Amino acid sequence: MNALSRFAADKTRSAGYGILVVAVILLGVIPLLMESLYSLHILVMVFFYVIAALSLRAIVISGQFPLGHAAFMGVGAYASGMAAKWLHLPPELTIPGAAVFTMIIGVMVAVSFSRLRALYYAMGSLFLGVAIIQILNAGGTWTGGYSGFSGITPMFGNSKVSWYYAALGLMILSAAALYRFEFSRIGTNMKAISQSHLVAESVGINEAKYRILAVAIGSFFVGLAGAGYAHYMGTIATSSYNFMATMWLFMYVLVGGVNNFFGPIVGSFILILIPEYFRSLKTYSPFISAGILFLFVYLMPGGFAGLIQAAVARVKSWRRERARDVAAD
Amino acid sequence: MEQVVATIFNVLILSSMYILVALGFAFLFNMLGILNLAHGAVYMVGGYIGFALINSAGVNPWVAILIATLIMAGFGVVLERFCFRPFTGDFNRIVMVGVGINVVLQTAVNALLGTRMQALPSFFDGYLRFGVVSVSYQRITIFLIGAALLVLVSWFVRRTKHGQQMQAISQDIEGAALSGINVHRVSALACAIGSGMAALAGCLMGSYLMLSPYMGDLMLIKALVLVILAGIGSIGGIFVTGLILGGLDAVAPVIFDGAVADAIPYIVVVVVLLLRPRGFFGREA
Repeated sequence: MNALSRFAADKTRSAGYGILVVAVILLGVIPLLMESLYSLHILVMVFFYVIAALSLRAIVISGQFPLGHAAFMGVGAYASGMAAKWLHLPPELTIPGAAVFTMIIGVMVAVSFSRLRALYYAMGSLFLGVAIIQILNAGGTWTGGYSGFSGITPMFGNSKVSWYYAALGLMILSAAALYRFEFSRIGTNMKAISQSHLVAESVGINEAKYRILAVAIGSFFVGLAGAGYAHYMGTIATSSYNFMATMWLFMYVLVGGVNNFFGPIVGSFILILIPEYFRSLKTYSPFISAGILFLFVYLMPGGFAGLIQAAVARVKSWRRERARDVAAD
Repeated sequence: MEQVVATIFNVLILSSMYILVALGFAFLFNMLGILNLAHGAVYMVGGYIGFALINSAGVNPWVAILIATLIMAGFGVVLERFCFRPFTGDFNRIVMVGVGINVVLQTAVNALLGTRMQALPSFFDGYLRFGVVSVSYQRITIFLIGAALLVLVSWFVRRTKHGQQMQAISQDIEGAALSGINVHRVSALACAIGSGMAALAGCLMGSYLMLSPYMGDLMLIKALVLVILAGIGSIGGIFVTGLILGGLDAVAPVIFDGAVADAIPYIVVVVVLLLRPRGFFGREA
């Protein structure tokens, strides 16, 4: 029986790997099949937002809700953009530099907010995010202020296909790193803290240390996404990193399913691509996004991942029942 | 002198409007832990309903404000019944519903009335002159309405049966339910009152400043600042934090220029939260 269940687990796991490989190959050949540069542009944006949503989930699994996460994407974007424009550094240097810079800021914040738990941390990071946005707005010519920051050094000669593969590669690397991170001992400790910080501490898990570590990892990857996005777009504005932007990152995670590593990936694709498909509705197109949200809230509480899990469970129980019927005959 | 008086009135008006919106948010947040992200949109739509009634239907401004308040109070009941009650205790889904409602209301206003900034007409013309100082009747009226409403609401919360039931629920929801309080009915009432107050504040702010479809997002953050700085569970503290934030928002633009003035209140808030994580009057977390 034990061997049998292990065999079944192996089978679902290899099925999962199969789907993953097929998805990556599909994403890899899309530029060869698609002529439309606009579609490539949308997909590049999706890749950057996937990294941001994954990094958000890396913090959420440690039981913290950073309601100012998009502001850290802004920190990465502005840090890289300003270093490239004003210090004339090459983007290859500023993008990782901005990610590290965002991580340092994130750690400083996490250390100072490490006394705050759950709701208070959420609110603290929310207000900090607003403060960061307002400071960027007040930056005058250095940050462009309310009118946005333009003239960020481009990369790859602005070729959409090169950017597509760069963003895809960055997304796969980040996802792999965050996957390893979540299923390592550190990730397990973080999940323990989020379930009960008292029990976790009583078995010797240093709560503050792991929560700060989660914020550090999350900030690094969101800074990376922001910096890449800034060099891709060439122009950035603080309004893309405000409170509602953070809420949309949360929506990507929740629609995909917060309990599954691949949730944020699927959620970003659903919530960016489907409204984009209906963009001919113009002013009415946000109704599509809202409709998707209501659909998931009322009908699929576990997000997309929860739906798949429920479907797999149903198929399994159906199979078991049939096997029992056959045995009874 | 002129500027001092004008600034004092700005502080009072901004504070009373912030407190009006934040109280409605705090009712649900303290009682059931519901993070009502649609509250800012309710405030915005209230202002636009008043605007549409006055400008398109030619309704008397006072009647228009009353109708807008009642419509949004009714909307509050619907919101509580169909959007919050099914998901009580599920933080994630309540946040999703709130964002969804927010998007629907903003898009509806955008599509129906356009993204242009609008303003409600003033209810009173003329100025109250007092030596060299003059204050418009408009501002005095807005402040008086806001202040009267705040007195009314504090009386409601402290002295009436339903208000005391609300306090009981925010102290201990299970104990309140066990002693015979109908939690659902009281929270529906709280949501209706909160939404009505937000709509009224939207109308008043619409005649004091301008209306824009995205003004709700900013007001939502202000309401959150007030509630968190006051401390979760404290209603009286919101009045104090409202005056502080209103003061910062009204005085900072006098001293600093535009964008810097916008940044200062939030920096102050972050520093205060670092020093006092539970807020000024919060109970033990």
